[in-house]
Amino acid sequence: MKRDELAASLTARFGDRILGVDAFPGLLGRVRFDSTIALELFRAFRDDLKFVHLTMVGATDWVDHREVFYVLWSDADLVYVLLSTNLPPDAPTIASAVPIWPSANAHEREAWDLVGVRFEGHPDLRRIFMPEGYAYHPLLRSFKIHEPEDLEVKVRSD
Amino acid sequence: MWVNMGPQHPMTHGLWNLRVRIEGEIIKDVDPEMGFLHRGIEKISEDRHYNEIITLMDRTCYVAGLSWEHLFIIAAEEALHIVPPERAEYIRVLSAELQRIGSHLMWYAAFVQDLGLTTPFLYGMRDRDLILDLFQTYTGGRLTYEYMRVGGVRNDLPLGFTARCRQVVDWLMDRFVEYDRLCLSSTIFRERCDGLGLLSAEDAIAYGVTGPMLRSAGSRRDLRKDRPYSVYGQLQFDVATANTADVTGRYLVRMEEMRQAVKIIRQCLDWLDDNPGPVMASQLPRWLGAPYAPVGNEAYLLKRNYPTGLGFSMVEEPHGEAGAYIVNDGGEHPYRVKFRSPVLINIWAAKRYLPGYRVADIPPIMGSVDVCVGECDR
Repeated sequence: MKRDELAASLTARFGDRILGVDAFPGLLGRVRFDSTIALELFRAFRDDLKFVHLTMVGATDWVDHREVFYVLWSDADLVYVLLSTNLPPDAPTIASAVPIWPSANAHEREAWDLVGVRFEGHPDLRRIFMPEGYAYHPLLRSFKIHEPEDLEVKVRSD
Repeated sequence: MWVNMGPQHPMTHGLWNLRVRIEGEIIKDVDPEMGFLHRGIEKISEDRHYNEIITLMDRTCYVAGLSWEHLFIIAAEEALHIVPPERAEYIRVLSAELQRIGSHLMWYAAFVQDLGLTTPFLYGMRDRDLILDLFQTYTGGRLTYEYMRVGGVRNDLPLGFTARCRQVVDWLMDRFVEYDRLCLSSTIFRERCDGLGLLSAEDAIAYGVTGPMLRSAGSRRDLRKDRPYSVYGQLQFDVATANTADVTGRYLVRMEEMRQAVKIIRQCLDWLDDNPGPVMASQLPRWLGAPYAPVGNEAYLLKRNYPTGLGFSMVEEPHGEAGAYIVNDGGEHPYRVKFRSPVLINIWAAKRYLPGYRVADIPPIMGSVDVCVGECDR
């Protein structure tokens, strides 16, 4: 599959909610999409384009938005593709990919813990590295390493 | 009833906690808890020069430091638009494969000790030391190497290295036969491992499991073949697979991977003998620092004038598929670094492969995962 074929098939299906398919070194391309079509797009990638492996989910904190990215691998075409979407920084929320790829569970917990992106419909969106009750999301640019912080640890009882 | 296995438990091989819900002896559900070793490597990387992050890569996975350096270097060179000389690429692949043997020997020693066999533990640790001695001769380090650089490697191999390295891998090939004799003919080993921890290829893919665990289920997925990076495309080797999908299968895959690694190492040594040359790219931006030049204050203050870029790399690390994603916004530090840890996902998938077994089965099953908590928590 080539990048322009991918762009044509995605645009035919999702119209202007696919914001662009850019070149990306080492990958098939970077698909920028509107976060409202997240679940349909994931399903199309898994079922129709055969991207069965979810390799990575991460997020980047930019000045005016928060970017969430997904890296997928296709066994049929032997390529990676990167999906990327921008979320508003005050309410960064996107549909969870767990119904499509169960492995998204741990990746999304990490993105929530470190960058503070909420994944709607995630079955178990707890922190994964930092303790429960920790007040910060450390990979936000506003979090400075050298500032003192008050660490409050809650003990879970169940 | 929920039971904590960890954070201090012989099964964990590090600092993490496996919470297990049991009914009698049967495991009903598990909830792995990570983060005890979280050092914020992705955050610290945002405040460091590219070459300074290499130091962190050795700490990310302390049994496969060079594999992680290799991963980071590929992504960083892509983000910075730098092409390393071919000799450096061969030295990197040689290092990564030696590291694979070293990591698998460490796994072999720890895993077999979990089963109660002490002799193989001593054998594994002793033979791993030969690999560490080799690393010491050309990187100066035995655990944390800081050897690779953006644009090449720090120094060339010393005189006589290739001959010594050939001796070591020849000796190791004999040792692998001995390992198999010790384990595969041992009733204790077979009865504890055969048919345990089953994870089919479909489930492994759905749950994101990679590396030897996936290949033990019959999958031929290996990034060195599927998406050759560095110079793997020019080297001959086979993908090690098994079809039992159990603990024994993972043992067999790792043993075969070590033999294939020896095959790759011999090809690299032949190439390195015949092709002397530079090991560092000649055109490097000044702020990146020449290989030996100390990076002084003036280099930090220089206004950089360098293109922005994105870097992405995936390598077949001893534990599975590791990934790096780097955003270079034109600064001397990366804007964002994201790593994919194979161990985090392999541990998390215990939700799929542990329920149904007994509590006493947990050490061999989790031992076969090859846990390195450093890279899991980062």
